[in-house]
Amino acid sequence: MENTTIVETHGLTKRYGSGVLAVDSIDMSVRRGEVYGFLGPNGAGKTTTLRMLVGLIRPTSGTATVAGHTPGDPKGLGKIGSLIESPGFYPYLSGRENLRVIADMASVSQKRVDEVLDLVELASRAGRKFGTYSTGMKQRLGVAGALLKDPELLILDEPTNGLDPQGMAEMRKLIKDIGQGDRTVLLSSHLLGEVEQICDRVGVISNGKLVKQSTVQDLLGEEGVLVRAQPIEQAHEVLTKMFGADVISRQDGALHLKTKPSNSVDINRQLVAAGIGVSELRPFERSLEEVFFQLTGEKQGS
Amino acid sequence: MIATIKSEWRKSRFRPAFLVASGIMAAITVLVYGVNWYLALHPTATRGGDRAIVNIATLYPDQFVNNVMGAAFPIGAAMAIVVGALFAGSEYGWGTMKTMFTQGPGRLTVWVGRLVVFAAWMLILTVVLFAVGALSSVVVALFQGHVIAGPAAFDLAKGMGAIWLILMVNGTIGLALGVLIRQPAAALGIGLTYVLAVELLAVRIINLINNGQYKNVTEQFVNQNATALTQSFTSPVFGASVPSPISADHAVLVLFAYGIGLAIVAAAALRLRDVT
Repeated sequence: MENTTIVETHGLTKRYGSGVLAVDSIDMSVRRGEVYGFLGPNGAGKTTTLRMLVGLIRPTSGTATVAGHTPGDPKGLGKIGSLIESPGFYPYLSGRENLRVIADMASVSQKRVDEVLDLVELASRAGRKFGTYSTGMKQRLGVAGALLKDPELLILDEPTNGLDPQGMAEMRKLIKDIGQGDRTVLLSSHLLGEVEQICDRVGVISNGKLVKQSTVQDLLGEEGVLVRAQPIEQAHEVLTKMFGADVISRQDGALHLKTKPSNSVDINRQLVAAGIGVSELRPFERSLEEVFFQLTGEKQGS
Repeated sequence: MIATIKSEWRKSRFRPAFLVASGIMAAITVLVYGVNWYLALHPTATRGGDRAIVNIATLYPDQFVNNVMGAAFPIGAAMAIVVGALFAGSEYGWGTMKTMFTQGPGRLTVWVGRLVVFAAWMLILTVVLFAVGALSSVVVALFQGHVIAGPAAFDLAKGMGAIWLILMVNGTIGLALGVLIRQPAAALGIGLTYVLAVELLAVRIINLINNGQYKNVTEQFVNQNATALTQSFTSPVFGASVPSPISADHAVLVLFAYGIGLAIVAAAALRLRDVT
């Protein structure tokens, strides 16, 4: 049976010489073919973890298997494309020539260079020196470089960093397109909307620890209905009779029901029939932002 | 390995540092020939005119191998350190080290490929130096109406080998410093300070201790051996010379040992250290 996991870590830990514990015993699992969001605030340990996965830094303890090999193994690296932190290219060479240098190093055909330049829509500006590129163009060239090997696993570390809103939208679309099919994308980000839009599953890291790993849907919780009505006590009673007490909670003067939004018509009818005034009735879903702040213990808006 | 060498060559063939270094080496050679030619023809310009300090015979083609040795050291050595420090140290500043280390070939393969391409560039610098030296000597001979006769092929090969070795060893000092310090500016600063000052001071101090009792220690220093090797190329037309206490054979061995040793130290650092 084919192994369905492309990245697996057990107790992966990195403590720097200065004593700083950057990554603390992470057990992470990325499945083949998914777009996995690695979410965490700045300084949480995302980049350190990704650097360990591509063999740039050695873990202090723990193990990792990436594309069937230990991190840094040349056989494994042949299946991985990565863009870690900022794109690293030679400023005195053109974008195209930079990709040719990488293609030679990775033993990839030079024909592939023009294919990936087309893919990231940089072909027309590939003759310009990398040093003259805008941030967006640099990021695009970085993604092109990561795609050269047509990798099974693509690791992108905050690829929208430093981009303007249009550039971010274009990059998100590009990542969505790249993630189609069998390719696995491991995307780190501190931008919640980005992860929510692109990813199938999410791992949330905070202070070096992986505090949650699940599908985006599971992370957001079950769907529900929010009811705001007067008098609220009476509305609570009516809804308890309808659905049972264990699916109702009261928050900020409103009732949260763990039920399908399609039950909204019945809810409205019963409340009105009981003489209760309904001021708000809508499907309710927690935002990833709320979940994120709850998991990482950070304060919203701080 | 071939893939790594191709990649390293592709990235460095138009690298400004190498092109500028080649140009500077060529310019220095022309300048040395120009100044010496002037001094040879204008004895009154020096020492009150009693005799010229440069014999015009040293500038003719049959002596050009001995002559270019002066242009290669210490200026050529300093140039090699600068180029080596830039070649290795810039990879950290540009973030290209992580790009290269994540492509597939192992770290040591990348390092060996880089050394091979650097050695090729040192050979190019050597060829530029000798080509410009030969051309300059032919120009002098033509203007002076002297017969044009080149040096023996063996002497030419020996001279080129010596200069390549000196450039390569000093370049490896720059490379190793670039890897160890992980940036070019400090690496080339330390390298230049060593070659132009530290070693010379150390030699003087050591030679003063107990009337030169520890002089043999200085005979193991890298650029004492480079100097001895260049001074071994001379001929009677250059006048009487003081024989060096370091033989050419000893110098070659010591320089090779430095080059290999420094390459191994840098390889170990690359292999074992995290790329952050």
